[in-house]
Amino acid sequence: MAGINNIFVLIKQVPDQSAKAGINPDGTIDRAKAKRMLNPFDRYALQAALHTKKHYGGKVTAITMGPPAAVEILLEALEHGVDIGYILSDKRLAASDTLATAYALYKVIKHIGDFDLIFCGLQTTDGDTAQVGPQIAERLELSQATYCEDFRIEESSIITKRVIEGGSQWIKMTIPALITVANSYHPLEYKSLRGARMVQHLLRSEEEKSKYIKFLNLDDIGADPIKCGLRGSPTIVARTDKVSEIGGSCLIRKGEPVNKMVVDLLSNSNILEHIKQ
Amino acid sequence: MSELKPTLKEIITPSNKEVIVIGEQINGEIKPVTLELLGIGKDLANKLNGKLSCVILGYNIHSLPSKLIAYGADTVYLADNKLLENYQTLPYRRVIIDLLSGFPLPPHILLLGSTTCGRDLAPRIAAYFETGLTADCTELDIGPYEHTNKIDPEKLGLYPNCLYAIRPSFGESLKARILGPWKNPQMATVRPGIMLPLKPDFNRKGNIENIMINLKPEDYRSEILEVIYEVSKGVSITEADVVIAGGFGLGKSEGFDLLRELANCFNHSAIGASRKVVDVGWIPYKHQVGQTGKTVRPKLYIACGISGAIQHRVGMNKSNLIIAINKDIDAPIFKFAHHGIVGDLYQIIPEFITQLKLIKYNKEDKILVKQD
Ligand SMILES: Cc1cc2nc3c(=O)[nH]c(=O)nc-3n(C[C@H](O)[C@H](O)[C@H](O)COP(=O)(O)OP(=O)(O)OC[C@H]3O[C@@H](n4cnc5c(N)ncnc54)[C@H](O)[C@@H]3O)c2cc1C
Ligand SMILES: Nc1ncnc2c1ncn2[C@@H]1O[C@H](COP(=O)(O)O)[C@@H](O)[C@H]1O
Repeated sequence: MAGINNIFVLIKQVPDQSAKAGINPDGTIDRAKAKRMLNPFDRYALQAALHTKKHYGGKVTAITMGPPAAVEILLEALEHGVDIGYILSDKRLAASDTLATAYALYKVIKHIGDFDLIFCGLQTTDGDTAQVGPQIAERLELSQATYCEDFRIEESSIITKRVIEGGSQWIKMTIPALITVANSYHPLEYKSLRGARMVQHLLRSEEEKSKYIKFLNLDDIGADPIKCGLRGSPTIVARTDKVSEIGGSCLIRKGEPVNKMVVDLLSNSNILEHIKQ
Repeated sequence: MSELKPTLKEIITPSNKEVIVIGEQINGEIKPVTLELLGIGKDLANKLNGKLSCVILGYNIHSLPSKLIAYGADTVYLADNKLLENYQTLPYRRVIIDLLSGFPLPPHILLLGSTTCGRDLAPRIAAYFETGLTADCTELDIGPYEHTNKIDPEKLGLYPNCLYAIRPSFGESLKARILGPWKNPQMATVRPGIMLPLKPDFNRKGNIENIMINLKPEDYRSEILEVIYEVSKGVSITEADVVIAGGFGLGKSEGFDLLRELANCFNHSAIGASRKVVDVGWIPYKHQVGQTGKTVRPKLYIACGISGAIQHRVGMNKSNLIIAINKDIDAPIFKFAHHGIVGDLYQIIPEFITQLKLIKYNKEDKILVKQD
């Protein structure tokens, strides 16, 4: 049996964009009002971490960085069978770009200790960069596989299938390694009854909760504040513009016989340029 | 009491004004995104008064530099080595980091394609040099920037030649201009299929420089066991001229048979899909168009039973001609399609196919000829 001891999974809480609440008229997000959810891509990472534990052993640690409310997703992760959660929360992290975020998460990982595998989501729906995972791997000097949709562990290696344009690659990496999980991997399974019961229990006692959810700040992890937040971010959003709706120009046919509508469309558009002759 | 705003001091971050494109090739073929990057890279280099270079790694690729020069590169940095035959994070990372570390001054701008390889490699390089990187840009430009935010006083100043990295955010309802002029290279990955390549000029002259390769033991911690290219019978959706896409309105997986029949009426066509039909398993993920699928820009996109949610739209709204078939006139797709038919796709598409088979089109005169 391959010796997997520690599995880390990085998850983030993001605004739920399908809900109207908290979306300002100018298209920006009011994070205080917006509904929150676990980044959908991170569900695949959680599944990969829990799958690893089930088949190869080890303990799963979920790690997040965000405002205190992000504890919600750690509880959700515990319900799914994660063993312990860490949240890095500190005002000095505000406006971190991916480089600063990756630096802070790297310091959290160093603080927690040894690991065999780190799973990340492919990307977030708010940052939407797919950069944080590889940037953590760079700081930790790890090998990485991004866009993974399948994997197995053999001895001290992980063999992963990663999506590339027009096909896929099978890669073998020595452990430790970092993996970002594509959304073509298996969807997250239902919460476990045991996990759900445990979280119910934790919610009744702060003391119990603190055994499973650990709060950290920059001082705890020995992070350099200058490398965090706005100051540690080499990029800034200088401007945002609302993209205007293109609408209004669509030529719509309706309520007429199908044959008439189709012929009208074919004669008044350039579709026929593309047909096989 | 009014106070005169002190003029911000101009700050020039050291760079050699070079714009570098990290090229990509597969089996000795340059990927289209590399030529697109050279197109936009040339524009940026001209605005900076600098030069455009391209890095290309692979094995048996000596014929590529002349093509890259024809498409606008002034210098090609070439690493041609068996060890670099297929893309792999650590060896490619090493070669590029070594190359850039050898420059007396950093390049001004470093561009990569927003492909599975580019998005794998770019963040490693950016983190190594602790420089800024903007993902998945749809527009790039050069311009000035005044930094007045007092939170980090050491950055206050006027920066004349910033890379404006422009990308959609929040599912494309917003466009963000992101910049990071404090450190060079300023980096971006660029979405394939958006920028236009220059017209190649095979008489152009350029330099070819061979890169010294110095891989270390830790670069061999991973190996490629197998590369599988899907031998799909048809064209891939990102390359197709015509994409026939199906959504949940198809009602069943067999609905795609009808779409395939429609696709067969066109040259160079492929089948696309919304995420919902991929999630329910009617068609594999590789057909998915949108935020979490592929971005396509075909000449013709026919959306059948697709509502046109923002996450779908971002993957296809650059198509030249968008046709929507949907039974709900309020479906968002009709807000941005060019032509639409409101009705049941199971009545409309068969009629479409019948008409397409009947009609003969005279391309020169652009007239329809009905066949008997
Ligand atoms: C983070 C995130 C990422 C996402 N990424 C993507 C992505 O990459 N790509 C993507 O597509 N979606 C994506 N989505 C999902 C997206 O929000 C929509 O849910 C999805 O696109 C809807 O698919 P649909 O249009 O096929 O289905 P529906 O929204 O259910 O629409 C079906 C349409 O078919 C019409 N219809 C029904 N029957 C008929 C008929 N007989 N004839 C004609 N019309 C008919 C209906 O009027 C309706 O408009 C994402 C969502 C999230 C939250
Ligand atoms: N604040 C965060 N806390 C924990 N993990 C994160 C955070 N931001 C990003 N990640 C991880 O990095 C992945 C890529 O994020 P991004 O680069 O923002 O698209 C996510 O799917 C997470 O796994």
